[in-house]
Amino acid sequence: MTNSFQVNSKEISKIKTTSKREKDFRIKNLNFFNKNGFPNKRHEDWKFSDLREIIYKNFKKLNTKNTSVKVKKINFIKDFDHNYVAIVNGELHSSNFKFEDKNKIKIKIFKNKNFSQENESNPLICLNHALANKGYHLEIKDNYKFKKTVIIYNLFTKDLKDSILNSRNKIKVGKNSELHTIDFIINESKHKFVNNVYENVALANNAVYKNICIQKDKSQGYFHKFSKNQLLSKSKYSTFIFPSGLRFNKLDLEFNLEGKDSECNLQSASFLNKDDHQEIKTKMNHLAPNCKSYQRVKNVLSSDGKGVYQGKIYVKNIAQKTDAYQLSKAMILSDNSEFDSKPELEIYADDVKCSHGSTSGKVDEDAIHYLMTRGLDKKESTKLLINGFLNEVIEMIKSNSVKNFVKGKLKKQIYGY
Amino acid sequence: MKNENINHNQDYKYGFTTDIESIKAPKGLSEKTIRFISKIKKEPKWMLDWRLKAFNRLKFLKEPDWQKPKFPKIDYQDLYYYSAPKGMTDKPKNLNEVDPKLIETYNKLGIPLNEQKKLSGVAVDAVFDSVSVATTFKDELTKKGIIFCPISEAIQKHSDLVKKYLGSVIPISDHYFATLNSAVFTDGSFVYIPPNTRCPMELSTYFRINASETGQFERTLIIADKGSYVSYLEGCTAPMRDENQLHAANVELIALDDAEIKYSTVQNWYPGDKNGVGGIYNFVTKRGACRGKNSKISWTQVETGSAITWKYPSCILQGDNSIGEFYSIAITNNHQKADTGTKMIHLGKNTKSKIISKGISAGKADNTYRGLVDIGRKALNSRNYTQCDSLLMGNKCGAHTVPYIKNKNSSSTIEHEATTSKINEEQLFYCNQRGLDQEEAVSLIVNGFCKDVLQQLPMEFAVEAQKLVGISLEGSVG
Amino acid sequence: MLEIKNLTASINNRDILKGLNISIKPGELHAIMGPNGSGKSTLANVLSGKNGYKISGEIRYEGKDLKEMSVDKRAQKGIFLAFQYPIEIPGVNTNNFLKTSLNKVRKARGEKEIDTMSFLKLLKEKSSELGIDEKMMSRQLNLGFSGGEKKKNEILQMKILKPNFVILDETDSGLDIDALKIVANGVNSYRDKKKSFLVITHYQRLLDYIKPDFVHVLSDGKIVKSGCMELAEELEKKGYNKIK
Ligand SMILES: Nc1ncnc2c1ncn2[C@@H]1O[C@H](COP(=O)(O)OP(=O)(O)OP(=O)(O)O)[C@@H](O)[C@H]1O
Ligand SMILES: [Mg+2]
Repeated sequence: MTNSFQVNSKEISKIKTTSKREKDFRIKNLNFFNKNGFPNKRHEDWKFSDLREIIYKNFKKLNTKNTSVKVKKINFIKDFDHNYVAIVNGELHSSNFKFEDKNKIKIKIFKNKNFSQENESNPLICLNHALANKGYHLEIKDNYKFKKTVIIYNLFTKDLKDSILNSRNKIKVGKNSELHTIDFIINESKHKFVNNVYENVALANNAVYKNICIQKDKSQGYFHKFSKNQLLSKSKYSTFIFPSGLRFNKLDLEFNLEGKDSECNLQSASFLNKDDHQEIKTKMNHLAPNCKSYQRVKNVLSSDGKGVYQGKIYVKNIAQKTDAYQLSKAMILSDNSEFDSKPELEIYADDVKCSHGSTSGKVDEDAIHYLMTRGLDKKESTKLLINGFLNEVIEMIKSNSVKNFVKGKLKKQIYGY
Repeated sequence: MKNENINHNQDYKYGFTTDIESIKAPKGLSEKTIRFISKIKKEPKWMLDWRLKAFNRLKFLKEPDWQKPKFPKIDYQDLYYYSAPKGMTDKPKNLNEVDPKLIETYNKLGIPLNEQKKLSGVAVDAVFDSVSVATTFKDELTKKGIIFCPISEAIQKHSDLVKKYLGSVIPISDHYFATLNSAVFTDGSFVYIPPNTRCPMELSTYFRINASETGQFERTLIIADKGSYVSYLEGCTAPMRDENQLHAANVELIALDDAEIKYSTVQNWYPGDKNGVGGIYNFVTKRGACRGKNSKISWTQVETGSAITWKYPSCILQGDNSIGEFYSIAITNNHQKADTGTKMIHLGKNTKSKIISKGISAGKADNTYRGLVDIGRKALNSRNYTQCDSLLMGNKCGAHTVPYIKNKNSSSTIEHEATTSKINEEQLFYCNQRGLDQEEAVSLIVNGFCKDVLQQLPMEFAVEAQKLVGISLEGSVG
Repeated sequence: MLEIKNLTASINNRDILKGLNISIKPGELHAIMGPNGSGKSTLANVLSGKNGYKISGEIRYEGKDLKEMSVDKRAQKGIFLAFQYPIEIPGVNTNNFLKTSLNKVRKARGEKEIDTMSFLKLLKEKSSELGIDEKMMSRQLNLGFSGGEKKKNEILQMKILKPNFVILDETDSGLDIDALKIVANGVNSYRDKKKSFLVITHYQRLLDYIKPDFVHVLSDGKIVKSGCMELAEELEKKGYNKIK
């Protein structure tokens, strides 16, 4: 690790800390980061995405200073009615829940109170532990079903350059409540920067949470998000990820199915083009009986795009009757692109149904041929097939307005192909 | 010797010891030990230098720790690295010179060495602790120009071939155990099939660990020259002992243009008793290079023994159109642990690989499939198909699948599938209703589950392997 | 041969058989009819000793209490169940399976093991009687067999294992007209003074061929009516609702 990427411990003194415990926690984590630096491919979890190499190649230095959060105007999505939360450079900016009963909702700036001493081995999480001092905390009380979706606008401002942002968010959905969110990322910076997020979602008994994650357009961001999710009894979590367009993007998602009969559904479709590198890493921990999980990750790789999927299903010995499935499919369009996967099973209960499949390969030549006999040229045929390949995931979105919105975004991404 | 507890595991019928006087190298791992081995084997200087190079390298290496089964620290200074039955240091010219106790041992193991009783169609090289005691059918093979002999003999007589190929697939400093083997290997088999020759019979090596506190470090080198074919079988057993014993073999295969090597293993080292005491640590490095165009290497393994099995027979597909295959059954019961799989490295164009792995876990055992499929940028039009199925019996055991899959070009296809389940109750019921008891039913269904792998084995081994599958799972259902 | 008194059975907290009585003497063929879900297959499973049921009441077979006996022991004592849905067992060769099974049963009867040659001869003979292509026997057990082929395979196994008490669970469903005749003939030729049958079916047609001594109607876990062939004819005309 060269010194330019070390973070001076003075940065911590600049953060308002509430207790000695907090300060010690931050310092301990900072020391870990400084000692280990950005993870490289010798770390098992970073085998396919050597972040150290990527950072060294693209940055000379990284500053942790907080940038201004002045924004003139947010371009809200007009396609459908929605509530919103606006986040600017990781910081909670404003929110509006005009369609909902405000007594049921709490939103505030995130304050970490959990200085658990468990040792993290991911240096980026440590860095976040050390420096995060912004983010939001959204809480939905028991027995409340949202009427409209909440769009979480994640804005990144023009003045971001060589910065590294560390933020922390938390969403709590109470018993029998239901929340739908869309993470919408708008990036106005033309420069390179790193965004490092730590996120918690906790679903109480019977809670339902649906989330869609999508980017407005291509950008120069280097993103890392670690997300730890808790599912209690009979709760349902579903997430759709359409994350392409970043220079680097790693989503490290951990789901703990702690309550009986809980369900988790994760689907993703990405088109990765020039300069894109994306990794989705999941850990589906089946810790209680009778839970279900379903994962489907689809990637189309073009130019020098690189896609990675590391998905692990873990089944504890008491988690009998687990039904867990995992599928990754990749379509490789160029000899410079690459798809790597590590679909892992670790199973300690016998009465389970667990399986995974992973395929990668070229476009279906027969299908191309068929389309060409119908008068389409090669490029058009390929585009059509890519669209169909990825649309399979989008079709799973229930709301028509949201589905069409996502389809529109995807079309734009593929257009450039 | 600590072998009073022979009754721990009645199911292991190969658990007897042969009481025979042996010559051992001084205990411990040192340059002295290596010089001793090299001297007693009358090796040329280049071989000794090669060993010492490995030994020097070893000082900088650490035992790997990424694999799932953890094991207590091995005290390398408390092992014997060479043990040979007295009178065996010079290989006997014929069976009359072999100690009758040894011949008796092999008879008991079902591997008769006598000319009259020899297994038909199978030539056997019998390795006892650190030395080869007999090789059958040698004359017949020699007529065809086939070399099948102990590697220590090849080092003296076929120096050129050994020098050219030894360490060319598994480099001296590959990893800890491979390097250890390079420094101290004692015996093993050497096979050379001349161009355009189809080996007329199965070649087989039968490994037996007898002496206590002794590691077995065998080395096998098989070269199939252009257009040749050979099928090679390997079997192994050891007495029941309370201590863990180390077996760290290196196997290198080289297939030149249009050549094919089929390598089958039925591994039945002593697995330890029901409480996990004793058993062999089977840390083996097996690697094959499909060096020539249209060459093919096929690994088949039935792993039922050993306390810990840790091996990844791999194929490096260098030649265009070459094919690599890996068929595996790994059964773990009681406290056994297996971490096994393969690596398929696709370098040449139009290369194909196929992986079929069946893992069965019972008792308190842990069974891991770990594998790598890597299709390189230049390996255009390549293909891999992988199927990994695991069966769990009870909820005190574990089944794990850890595949690494890399595809780096747009004309290649990788398909990977894996499942984990338990034995189907309805199938058991059906078998019971036709009069089969629980253990027979399990054995039948598990054999069915493993069929795709079992049918890859040569006839002589298939029947034995099927029985082994049943026996290994005895007591696992109740 | 078989004496069932006040038999109840439940599984997963669901009561299925609710006090069932039936008595079958050597040489008799009893038919059981009844609406879907009334518990017919459950009865067949319980008689064969399948695990998982909570049972009370009495089952006596050849004078002995069956309740503690395992599935395989019952089979060895001559109880044979032709399954409604014979299961596929991948990788297991049908031939081998049948031979293993036959030898188990023979051993229990105190006969000596059959050698491969005689077994193959027997198999050839019995499969040609049933119009089964011998090649099918070297395929994996029931794997990819058509519905009808699976059923025929069950009857073939019956003929080879020579049980004393045979339960046929809807063996006629899924058979074409010719196959139905062949199966019925198979059953008829196997009947004699010493052997008894419990035939579960939905259709009178099979019974026309095999002529039951008794017909019972099972509904909601109980025998609600017993009679002879006429009862089956009546059912065919009127349906279950009218009977009670
Ligand atoms: N394992 C089980 N758990 C819960 N309910 C069960 C179970 N097995 C059977 N049942 C129920 O018990 C009832 C009787 O089932 P059974 O299979 O004996 O019916 P059947 O008379 O054979 O019907 P069919 O004519 O359709 O074959 C059905 O309602 C069935 O759903
Ligand atoms: Mg039924």
